Amino acid sequence: MTKVDPETRIPDPIELDRVEEERLRAVAGLTPVRTRTGEYAGFDQVGIPDRPPQTEREREVYTLEEGEMLVNMGPQHPSTHGVMRLVVKVRGEIIVDIDPVLGYLHRGIEKLCENATYTTVLTYVDPMDYLATMNNEHAPAIAFEKLYGIQPPKRAEYNRALVVELERVSSHGLMMGFLALDMGGITPILYAFINRDEIVDLLSAISGQRMLFNFFRVGGVNFDTNDEFFSRLGTWRGKVLKNIEMNERLITDNEIFRSRTIDMGTLTGRDAISLGVTGPNLRASGVPFDVRKAQPYSIYNELEFDVITQTGGDSYARYLQRIAEIKQSIHLIDQIIDKMPHGPVQAQVPGIIRPKPGRAYAAIESPRGLYSVYAISDGGPNPYRFRMRDPSFISLQAMPKLMPGRLVADTMAIMASLDPVMGGVDK
Amino acid sequence: MAVDRPTTTSPEPVPPSGNGPIVIPDQAGDDSLLRQFGMEEHPQGGFHGLLEVIPTKADYILDLIRANSLWPLLSGLSCCAIEMMSTATSVNDIDRFGMFPFRASPRQADVLIVAGTLTTKMAGPLVRLWEQMPEPKWCVAMGTCTTSGGRFKRSYSVVQGVDRVMPVDVYVPGCPPRPEGLIYGMMKLHELVKQRRGQWSTFVDRGPQRTRWEGDVR
Amino acid sequence: MEHLRRPRPAAHALGRRRALTTPVAAGALVRLLDERLGSDFRDLWTDEDTVEVQVESPRAHDLLRTLRDDPDLAFFMLADAAAVDYGVGERFEVVYHLYSWKHPGWLRVRARVDRADPRIPTITDLWEGAMFHEREMYDMMGIVFEGNRDLRRIYMSPDYRSFPQRRDFVLPDDAADSPAAGVNPLERPETWDLTRFNQAVGVTYPTSELRDDAPSGAVEDGASLADKSRRR
Repeated sequence: MTKVDPETRIPDPIELDRVEEERLRAVAGLTPVRTRTGEYAGFDQVGIPDRPPQTEREREVYTLEEGEMLVNMGPQHPSTHGVMRLVVKVRGEIIVDIDPVLGYLHRGIEKLCENATYTTVLTYVDPMDYLATMNNEHAPAIAFEKLYGIQPPKRAEYNRALVVELERVSSHGLMMGFLALDMGGITPILYAFINRDEIVDLLSAISGQRMLFNFFRVGGVNFDTNDEFFSRLGTWRGKVLKNIEMNERLITDNEIFRSRTIDMGTLTGRDAISLGVTGPNLRASGVPFDVRKAQPYSIYNELEFDVITQTGGDSYARYLQRIAEIKQSIHLIDQIIDKMPHGPVQAQVPGIIRPKPGRAYAAIESPRGLYSVYAISDGGPNPYRFRMRDPSFISLQAMPKLMPGRLVADTMAIMASLDPVMGGVDK
Repeated sequence: MAVDRPTTTSPEPVPPSGNGPIVIPDQAGDDSLLRQFGMEEHPQGGFHGLLEVIPTKADYILDLIRANSLWPLLSGLSCCAIEMMSTATSVNDIDRFGMFPFRASPRQADVLIVAGTLTTKMAGPLVRLWEQMPEPKWCVAMGTCTTSGGRFKRSYSVVQGVDRVMPVDVYVPGCPPRPEGLIYGMMKLHELVKQRRGQWSTFVDRGPQRTRWEGDVR
Repeated sequence: MEHLRRPRPAAHALGRRRALTTPVAAGALVRLLDERLGSDFRDLWTDEDTVEVQVESPRAHDLLRTLRDDPDLAFFMLADAAAVDYGVGERFEVVYHLYSWKHPGWLRVRARVDRADPRIPTITDLWEGAMFHEREMYDMMGIVFEGNRDLRRIYMSPDYRSFPQRRDFVLPDDAADSPAAGVNPLERPETWDLTRFNQAVGVTYPTSELRDDAPSGAVEDGASLADKSRRR
């Protein structure tokens, strides 16, 4: 081996990709890094996985070359998204590949709903996306109304839209908090939870529950809002922008936050559509797709709002997108308060409805993306097939595309910017 | 010759000497309820309303210290985790009870608040976390999913209550329980801690259970 | 309870039968599908906001490729891929929902899959986001997607042996459907022993012990609401 010339500087591997590193090592006369072909990391070596590979992709992920290592993150880890396990293949500190393992919260909701009446289904689906629970009920309610052939009264639709937009404000505020928390900042999450507690107090005045409201029914909503509620809503409206801004001031122009989110996890629009990513993540990549405008449902035809997009598609753009959507939701809430009609809030529908046999598909815009329900009815009291498509589940597929090349510490930051909720991912 | 011996023997009164437990003889072990359930020899059978050991002042202060700085393990699985976080943040603050640091590592935690639905896939990692926690440790089952399976009672992949896999000290019902409810549960846990009534040492591990009915073909 | 009953007008009295969102504009899509792809699918049907196309499973992949790549159709987005089980002797179905800028409403593509040998070509080469959909359909129904590079279980443990969302997978407690029907004694009234309720075993506390504020004897027997409503 020739002597290494002190003038030849081999830069830190973080800055190099493997081809460049090999070339420079050859130039300097060092042995190449990878002298062995990849070995499958079986049970006796590593412990994950503990069986032969079942698929090509599994073999690809769990085959280690020299210098690579498998790191298991989860299912219990300080990131607050819930129980998800990430098996990360790293070389040093750089991520080479990633394999998310889901199912630690799979509760079998779809199967349970096949044995429940249509109204009971609306209570079973609540704990899917538990940060924005009304959205989980909204899509099935629309689908069942399509099957049954009715439409709820106007006041019910306005109530529905009001609570859904309130939940959107709460959920996006929490995303801001979780994003900062996953990077180590503990204050923004406290502000986000203050914001959420105020909204949740309002919503608990309607339905008595703080989180898993039993609010929607086929044909309307169950409880009504009254003048006292609207006066409290007005008080809240007066201070929400200041709350959000107080939180925003801590992070948006923060140098640490910006350097950890700008140009991290860049997702192009084309990739996003191919991966099925929807919602704020898709709009932050520049694609102006919003289900409320593309396939209007409920009263969104009568409300005036724009589809906001950002350029860039990185974590910072996804963060800015959610702040913009908070402001847009507040604007929508203002319009709803202005236009709320009087009238009944529930159509007269029997307790156990038996819609005619048919199929219905209903999609709504939840804070995480396109949330849709495909329901098949066979004329009986229970749905024959009840299928939910959750946006967080599909958005997680972006991770093996966004993570490689980044450091381990960026894993959680990028995942927090995608804002998955494990209840919805695992159903 | 057959001596007719009574079924329960009351222990001999030990004169107070400072070493060894002081048992108050006229009540311990003399309980018809214990006899009925066959619990005379259960390690907690003697606790029927009574402390087996009269604690000294140092023990009392130690228990007070343990109660007022219970460090929970971050074990938020599902929706109850959001309410747990809501309990931990500004409006309902359990930092005033000493529970601010939610430890990420089980080696440093005292309380495992199981917040959220426990599924069969997650049961293994959760029990491993419980076993990694050093004693003394307590477990709080928060929410109805951990108490009994909750709203997922007939599901194929939900463990019907976390007490099937680990000993639970306090059950906090609710779906999800209000933060005030969780704080009430923590106050009950403080009582348990101060009275040294934990379940961790008396748990008999029978493995994961499934209801087996006669004729069950699955 | 008259004072509690809210007046609820009947659905038809509200004057709002379901408003059709796209009754006319979908005709263009129907005509387009018929002329471009008429030979590929077996059936076409339209409702208020959905156009539905049924197809056999080997042709599904090519149909979806044409739907995505044709410039007039331009169904660029896969909204949902679901699997349906129609029963033990019947078929499976894989249902795709697509969206396009140019056409209102969703397009539903229903692909019939044989239940005895459930195979269908994968569409992960068209949309990468179909990977998790297909893994879930495999996990829950057992449908094999040929060509999928990562077809393993996603929700259940890798050693799980059954397919939960099939119709012949029965949840515990489904008394009517299960072969173990009615073996739980609680489901059979003849096994209930009601004689144990004859002797009151519990201890009842007089009210004065539970409530600090009211002195004992504040409410005499027969005067409280519970006493009045109990039949004597």
